[in-house]
Amino acid sequence: MSIEKITNPFDARHWIGHMEADYMYTLGVVGERFFKELKENGRIMGTRCPNCSIVYVPPRMYCERCFAKLEEWIDVGKKGTIHTFTIATIEKDGKKLEKPVIYALIKFEGAHGGMIHKIGETDTVCIGMKVEAVLKSPEERKASINDIAYFRPTK
Amino acid sequence: MSEVAIVGFGCSGFKPITPELSYKELMFETAVKAYEDAGINPRKDVDVFITCAEDYLEGFSIFDEFVPDQLGAVLRHLFTVSGDGMLGLATAYMLIRTGHFDTIVLEAHSKASDILTYIDIVAFGLDPVYNRPLGGHPYYIAGMEMNRYLHDTCTTTEQCAQVVVKNKRNGILNPYAAYGANVTLDQVLCSETCFYPLKKLEISTPADGCIVMVLASEKIAESLSDKPIWVKGVGWCTETPSLETREWTKAVYTRMAAEMAYKQAKINNPWMEIDFAEIHDQFAYKELQHMEALKLCDYGEAGKLLEDGLTNLNGEFPVNPSGGLLGMGYGLEASGTQKLLEVVLQLRGEAGRRQIPNAEVGLAHTWRGIPTATGVVAVLSNVKR
Ligand SMILES: [Zn+2]
Repeated sequence: MSIEKITNPFDARHWIGHMEADYMYTLGVVGERFFKELKENGRIMGTRCPNCSIVYVPPRMYCERCFAKLEEWIDVGKKGTIHTFTIATIEKDGKKLEKPVIYALIKFEGAHGGMIHKIGETDTVCIGMKVEAVLKSPEERKASINDIAYFRPTK
Repeated sequence: MSEVAIVGFGCSGFKPITPELSYKELMFETAVKAYEDAGINPRKDVDVFITCAEDYLEGFSIFDEFVPDQLGAVLRHLFTVSGDGMLGLATAYMLIRTGHFDTIVLEAHSKASDILTYIDIVAFGLDPVYNRPLGGHPYYIAGMEMNRYLHDTCTTTEQCAQVVVKNKRNGILNPYAAYGANVTLDQVLCSETCFYPLKKLEISTPADGCIVMVLASEKIAESLSDKPIWVKGVGWCTETPSLETREWTKAVYTRMAAEMAYKQAKINNPWMEIDFAEIHDQFAYKELQHMEALKLCDYGEAGKLLEDGLTNLNGEFPVNPSGGLLGMGYGLEASGTQKLLEVVLQLRGEAGRRQIPNAEVGLAHTWRGIPTATGVVAVLSNVKR
């Protein structure tokens, strides 16, 4: 099949291609309101299902359990509990990170779901730890999930 | 309704790189083997061709347009399932069960070594607004899931590491495997903790390879093969894509897929009625989590069964005799067909040095990897009944 054993794929004749794929992701009715509240009022909001009595964070227009349309908005506060976490030591390209990054799923009290975010201001972390969102200053906020700088252990 | 059988296969074998072949040539060479095995002519004997591929992994948009020629399917009836090969199996199964189709070709492959930015493509599978802006290597999700799984089930990091030892050891016996090796528990445990508590050696490495299978209806299966392998049931399920609201301890998508397949196959006690299983192990802990979801044991018990050697090749219920994805290499959308292939080989009695004696019923399971929550389960047997 092959004439000589090639051990580096780049030694074989090849053509380098690049897939251009820029995209604009429209936020929709619910995303619009969530990020407006986060940017302008520094609030984390969820939507509540009247049938299932659960609050979705991030909010959405419909309940994934009963398929009801959700219209009731609830401020879930900025404090939550770490449901699970990890400490990443490598970057996407496989290189070692200069400083490990802690990622966690933070669940808010009374809410179904929560937020995936980074944990800061601490090197020790555990499941069940109480944390709170640290928001960027109003001028720095851009209606992005990164308007939250990170979560930190509650004082 | 017609029974459905796998009557032929071709496999290229899985390798870290295949620079000598283009993806089309890889598929062509594999298809030729499958057609020879089933004794069919693709230009006239095949009713439907199904390929399974995801555009981004192929470097194409509308990749399905680029597959007919190398399979002998030009101006024939072909479509692509944008997903794992076992979703293609489910589709083929249903088509044959309608009674309108007798012969179906199923193809899935990986040319992972052609993908220069694989992890970027994985990261592109995350929610663009709520998750992607955080950046980072997307396998942090596996680290988070493993952490919660260990926390809730009391499964140990040693038990997870033992999955790697077992699967890579089985891989040595599989000529199709790219990464079979004798590694020790200490080597796994001492490998870098990339995404706490997930270790580097607990993450399967992508590999190149192609698998083509020929499926047939009851009417013609026995005329095409001396050893038809009957598909007794197939099930599939997808959990919510929302990382924030999905279940993190139990692989619910696999539980629901298994229940669907078991119902069709009339399986009540999987551990007793099935002889072995091929289970998606892209990350070592997933083998244990999936075993529990497949009802092979209670939640939290899989680690103990493994530790006691019950899932070893010579154990009571071998899991991943092929070497799994840790030993064979992670075949991307071909993962499910890697699982299926081993079940077919074992049930045909052609698994060589890793043959499980008297195997009659096997289970194949797949998952679409991080960050998905989609699973497919199939039960197969060499006895028609
Ligand atoms: Zn509801």
